[in-house]
Amino acid sequence: MSEYEPRIVGFLCNWCGYAGADLAGTSRLSYPTNIRIIRVMCSGRVEPAFILNAFENGADGVLVAGCHPGDCHYRSGNQHAEKRIEKTKKLLDLLGIGSERLRLEWVSASEGEKFASVIKDFTEKLRGKGPSPLVKDLQPVPVQHNATESIHDILKRTKALYCQECGKCSSSCPVTRLDPTYSPRLAVEKALMGLEDAVLTDKGLWSCLTCYLCRQRCPLDIEYDELIRTCRAKAEAKGITGQCSHEGVLFSVSRLMASPETKQNRMDWIPPEAEIAKTGKLMYFVGCLPYFNVVFDDIGVRNIEIAQSMLRVMNAAGIKPVVLEEERCCGHDLSFSGDIASFTRLAKINSATIKKSGVTKIVTTCPECFRTLKLDYPEFLGRRKFEVVHASEFLSELIDNGKIKFAGKIDQKVSYQDPCRLGRHMGVYDLPRKVMTSIPGIELVEMERNRQNSLCCGVSAWMGCGRHSKQMQIERLTEAKDTNAGLLVTACPKCQIHLNCALSERLPVEKEKIAIETCDLSVLVARAMNLTLNSTEMNKK
Amino acid sequence: MSEKTAVLIIGGGIAGIQASLDLAGRGFQVYLLEETPTIGGRMAQLDKTFPTMDCSICILAPKMMECFRHPNIKLITYSELKEVKGTVGDFHVKIRKKPRYVDETKCTGCASCTEHCPIEVPSEFDMRLGMRKAIYMPMPQAVPRCMTIDRENCIECKLCSKICRAGAVDFSQQPQDIDLNVGAVIVATGFDQYDPSEIVEYGYQRLRNVLTALEFERWVCASGPVGGHLLRPADGGIPKKIAFIQCVGSRGRKFGTPFCSSVCCMYATKEALIIREHAPDVQVYIFYNELRAFGKGFQEFINRARQDYGVNYIRSRPGEIKEDTGKKTLTIWYDDTLTREIKTLADVDLVILCSALLPRSSNRKLAELLGAELDDYGFFRITHPLLAPVDTTVPGIYVCGYCQSPKDIPDSVAQASAAAARAAEALALVQVQRLGGGT
Repeated sequence: MSEYEPRIVGFLCNWCGYAGADLAGTSRLSYPTNIRIIRVMCSGRVEPAFILNAFENGADGVLVAGCHPGDCHYRSGNQHAEKRIEKTKKLLDLLGIGSERLRLEWVSASEGEKFASVIKDFTEKLRGKGPSPLVKDLQPVPVQHNATESIHDILKRTKALYCQECGKCSSSCPVTRLDPTYSPRLAVEKALMGLEDAVLTDKGLWSCLTCYLCRQRCPLDIEYDELIRTCRAKAEAKGITGQCSHEGVLFSVSRLMASPETKQNRMDWIPPEAEIAKTGKLMYFVGCLPYFNVVFDDIGVRNIEIAQSMLRVMNAAGIKPVVLEEERCCGHDLSFSGDIASFTRLAKINSATIKKSGVTKIVTTCPECFRTLKLDYPEFLGRRKFEVVHASEFLSELIDNGKIKFAGKIDQKVSYQDPCRLGRHMGVYDLPRKVMTSIPGIELVEMERNRQNSLCCGVSAWMGCGRHSKQMQIERLTEAKDTNAGLLVTACPKCQIHLNCALSERLPVEKEKIAIETCDLSVLVARAMNLTLNSTEMNKK
Repeated sequence: MSEKTAVLIIGGGIAGIQASLDLAGRGFQVYLLEETPTIGGRMAQLDKTFPTMDCSICILAPKMMECFRHPNIKLITYSELKEVKGTVGDFHVKIRKKPRYVDETKCTGCASCTEHCPIEVPSEFDMRLGMRKAIYMPMPQAVPRCMTIDRENCIECKLCSKICRAGAVDFSQQPQDIDLNVGAVIVATGFDQYDPSEIVEYGYQRLRNVLTALEFERWVCASGPVGGHLLRPADGGIPKKIAFIQCVGSRGRKFGTPFCSSVCCMYATKEALIIREHAPDVQVYIFYNELRAFGKGFQEFINRARQDYGVNYIRSRPGEIKEDTGKKTLTIWYDDTLTREIKTLADVDLVILCSALLPRSSNRKLAELLGAELDDYGFFRITHPLLAPVDTTVPGIYVCGYCQSPKDIPDSVAQASAAAARAAEALALVQVQRLGGGT
């Protein structure tokens, strides 16, 4: 430990923090050389993603220094910084990196001494804590369908060689309808012509929502989503990446979980009276809900309620599920954004964890986890010994077996958003509907586009949320509103996030035309069973 | 003529009719088996034919009558095959004739019973778009000209029995078994139409203004459910814009079938011409993938449709058909693959899906009875794809028409004559052998 020197990344605001550091220098004050300084115009510019990225790249601590409250040169940048740092600290705690490795300080241009002492103190503290738990140089992993697969082989594997160039895909694609520069047909056409560079450098490669609508409709059954996934991996290998939403914070979270040494603290959400097990037959795979709950706190979605509801329903049905602290992100978003290596790492860790726990059946509340565990893990790692079901199937079984007792009637008209991973990817359309309609009093009214024709929530795999995503969300919420339903039920935490995000933003549409309450299927069931959550206890979390 | 030189022909469509007439003309005894109450098959349902624009029933009906009148042809309608035993020259066949509850020898087809029958059910002949009575003739030109009582829907009020002056109604009729001894068999079972409702984005059966092409043939036919007026199915409105979508369920790998039905490019063009002749102010659009106009006069036919009739051809398989809110009209989303633009065609009154034509699903059972083989799609397997186009895998059993491979009317007729010739050849051989000769 004696040769350990903490590496600190410092994001310093141009007007105060950086000027303070400058003053410390010109005043010839001595302070440890452990800090590497990155100047930013304002502490408010520092995204959580920047900080996580620093840790990903081997930092032991991150310092953000800005102007004192009230002194911000952009009025309120430092107030934003404060909120963001608070959020990031929560993420660092969840990831087991520890919030004390992140520090926010107000250092004015005249406070050279304060700057020097902050660095001294932070370096000492970090020295005491030891190095970041993350393994800095991960060994490369062999991956399936890797970037060496030729375009022709990809076309063959995804059956794109059958393409008749009929345009059914492109006229179905919700993105192409809004952005004609992107078209699945033309992407396939380019690939068929062997124009590999054109395919990989096309920004359209990252516009695809992999929502499966084109694949659903393609008469030739071309696996367009898989074509996109593989081409993204190929592009990434060449150093081409897409635009990640939220600056890629959730990719960082996933990648940080892919480090074998990561020890998360992700079980705080479990209500005190709830019962879980360490080993057993049935596992509840929580997914990234604890992280989403932090990241999307400000748009009014409490994602963790989904997990809490599912656990309460399970307990009420006499089931004590296995819930594991060692559980990692399933890797879905990484696999669909080109980072197959990190995805494979996560898959291997999760598979080993699941194997060790002796679990034979896994329930997920997230359709992406459902798809990934059920389809992708076997494809990339070989056959698995566990069965995977989505919450809708599990809840439907509980209802059939009389294990669920609804407390009374919920007189409400609801509509349902088919998540693309659950519906078109996995073919589950009826079960969520069955669960909803078995709740006394619930009337289900369908949106114009439903089931196979359903419209995506606008973003997938945290890739490129933009104008077109918002337009799709407006379209979808308008459709939901037009049903006269009072509640829009989803079975995917991300659909709920994206639709709520649209509701929380200022968009070119009258609020009352789109304003509708959203609710996850599991939460709706828990509500109908009167397993309501204690809100004060919730707010503590 | 000995029974051993008789032929059983399965299927009373144009192919079966042609094969029957050919063999009967050569002096062979023909048994023409048909499962519905009338011969005529699919061709009888069509309004017109391509590329000549003949009235379909007008050129078919004389042939149907010829079959009825021919001394060497015995029609066995409303019947099904039960058993086939034996080999070439000596097949023993059992047929079950379903009771019509009307005496074929007495019924004159005057249809007064139909007028009085109180029960209306969807007409199979009119693709369920129109209605028929519980006592009915599928079409006015039915052969044999005899009523049939549909006992499943009949309420047994027996009004028909009271009204019938010929005393033909007989509720006591029982199924009748017919044993035949024939020397050869010809299979001509035709096609089923693919049900496109699983292609949900086209809204078939969800959107009332979406029809299949065969439905449209009945819809626009003068003897059809609306008397040949060009109307919008949902509300009877006058259409201004009609679109055809090709390759619905055909040339695919997920839904329907991988093969090309071979007739859709042409019949869509024909139907487009029918529309333009009915109502010259209606805009017609044909969404196609490739125009397969390979036959005699076919390309010229399409050229004529484009040049003289102003039919619009768009190279695209549309992605989706959407009902316009508050209206019965439809909007089609498509990628104009030649201009590479995503477009919509709005205010479409009627969309016609050129749905794949499949070999009949009942072929499976039939092939089992015959001991013949089918290919992967359900067409009858032939012994050589180039050199033996009408020989099934069983000697003495021949095949013609759509149940052999996708084809149009002229090809079916030509192939029926070929199958008849092959059957005649087999029977001649049997006769020679019986007279003590050799090959």
